[in-house]
Amino acid sequence: MLRTETYTVNFGPQHPATHGVFRVMLNLDGERIVKAEPVCGYLHRGVEKLAENRTYQQVIPYTDRLDYLAAGLQNQGYVETIEKLMEIEVPDRAEYLRIITAELSRIASHVLFVGVYALDIGAFTGFLLCFRERERILDLMEELTGSRMTYSYARIGGVAADAPEGWLDRVEKVVNDLPYYFDIYDDLISGNEIFQARTKYVGYLSAESAVDYSLSGPTLRGSGIDYDLRKAKPYSIYDRFNFEVPLGENGDCFDRYFCRILEMRQSVYILQQAIEQIRETDGPIMAKVPKVLKPPKGEAYHEIESSKGILGYYVVSDGSNKPYRVHVRRPSFVNLGFLDEMCRGGLVADLVAILGSIDIVLGEVDC
Amino acid sequence: MFGKGLVKGLNVTWKEFWSKKFTVQYPDEQHTKPPRFHGKFQLNSDACIACGLCANACPNGVIKIESEKVNKKKYLTKYVMNIQYCLFCGMCVEACNKGALRFTQEHDMSQYFYKDIPLVFVDREAPKPDPETENKEKDDDKSKKAGKAPEKEGQ
Repeated sequence: MLRTETYTVNFGPQHPATHGVFRVMLNLDGERIVKAEPVCGYLHRGVEKLAENRTYQQVIPYTDRLDYLAAGLQNQGYVETIEKLMEIEVPDRAEYLRIITAELSRIASHVLFVGVYALDIGAFTGFLLCFRERERILDLMEELTGSRMTYSYARIGGVAADAPEGWLDRVEKVVNDLPYYFDIYDDLISGNEIFQARTKYVGYLSAESAVDYSLSGPTLRGSGIDYDLRKAKPYSIYDRFNFEVPLGENGDCFDRYFCRILEMRQSVYILQQAIEQIRETDGPIMAKVPKVLKPPKGEAYHEIESSKGILGYYVVSDGSNKPYRVHVRRPSFVNLGFLDEMCRGGLVADLVAILGSIDIVLGEVDC
Repeated sequence: MFGKGLVKGLNVTWKEFWSKKFTVQYPDEQHTKPPRFHGKFQLNSDACIACGLCANACPNGVIKIESEKVNKKKYLTKYVMNIQYCLFCGMCVEACNKGALRFTQEHDMSQYFYKDIPLVFVDREAPKPDPETENKEKDDDKSKKAGKAPEKEGQ
């Protein structure tokens, strides 16, 4: 019987479509992918190990550097874990400020995803267009936290600083403007036939295997599984907001992409409600927390819905002022596990579309 | 109908073409930076009491402080920030009780040579202690620190 031989091609680590330094070892049969083996670790900095030599508060800036596109969410996940460990009650106003930063981070991350995904598919205009909106959100965050990407805003027991004067009005203005931009994305990118041809029915992910591989976030919801931690197990004060969990139907790249667009619209609803409610909430922004934190012996695991999926922190305390062990369950890393099966039988060009649709951040994958 | 999406997209492009331009011609023009901007650090060395809270708060051990006891008071002799390891998280500024350490709006800190990178805020000799107060202290309690100061005088 006549057959062709397969050959191996390295995709990355220095390839812009991998969104960083990430390598996929492709086993190809002609243009078709036989096997795609992800190789990660090129951006490994040992954040988990570094955390063992830092006090509990000093770990916060390192969490920024995991998913640097949505640092607000990373901070929130970590501090909530320590608060769970120490049983600290956080003041209401601080909770609202955290929700606002978290949802703004989520939108900033998704907006960048839309742009970068358009770039992956080959539309450079989409990439630059989306930066404009992201910039407005980053400006707001800069005003609140002083940094554009690595916020380090959440503190154990509250937040670092209260909102500056008039900040909430400016957030409201940006938030109210955002749906108009999302319509533009729909017109320019989602509705584009070329974009649809490249993403529809590509990278199929069945609902069963998505659950089996414990995928999470929009990657999971794109396959039609209704599991959003904000709804399923409301943490923080998410039970006070009305919102829906957008779902995909087919489980292909387009659904995963479109899920994020719809999710941004839901984030806008949450933000509008949060701004309305925070105006009626006055009070401290920090709980009474000792300067030297010494959580009791024990361990805590807490997870939140990050922009990429379920972000979990596992912290073990030995009673000293430094954590004995910190482990991060990174959604990008877990979601990558299914890359191989999604790619099989597809073209090399599809790999770019699939990898983009999982929305990985290498800082988080390698940790 | 095929091509409808493309026409819609072109329509967006057409509209955006006439909209306001967002590009800022850096470095000729610059964005205004908010007051909380995490830029270059500034130390008010008169306000600093060399307590070392900032150095302890720093996750990366960026700040190096040296001080000497003069007249029973800590006198700041050296304050160096190895800014190349700085995360700009703001923990040090937050830790400072005296408001001595602050962020400024300045953001261009790049240097041509590695040795120029550390921010040396204070590098000075401790002043000679005032003999009158010194003697008074000596009488009050003959601690080691009080005895150390006269050695300096002889130098």
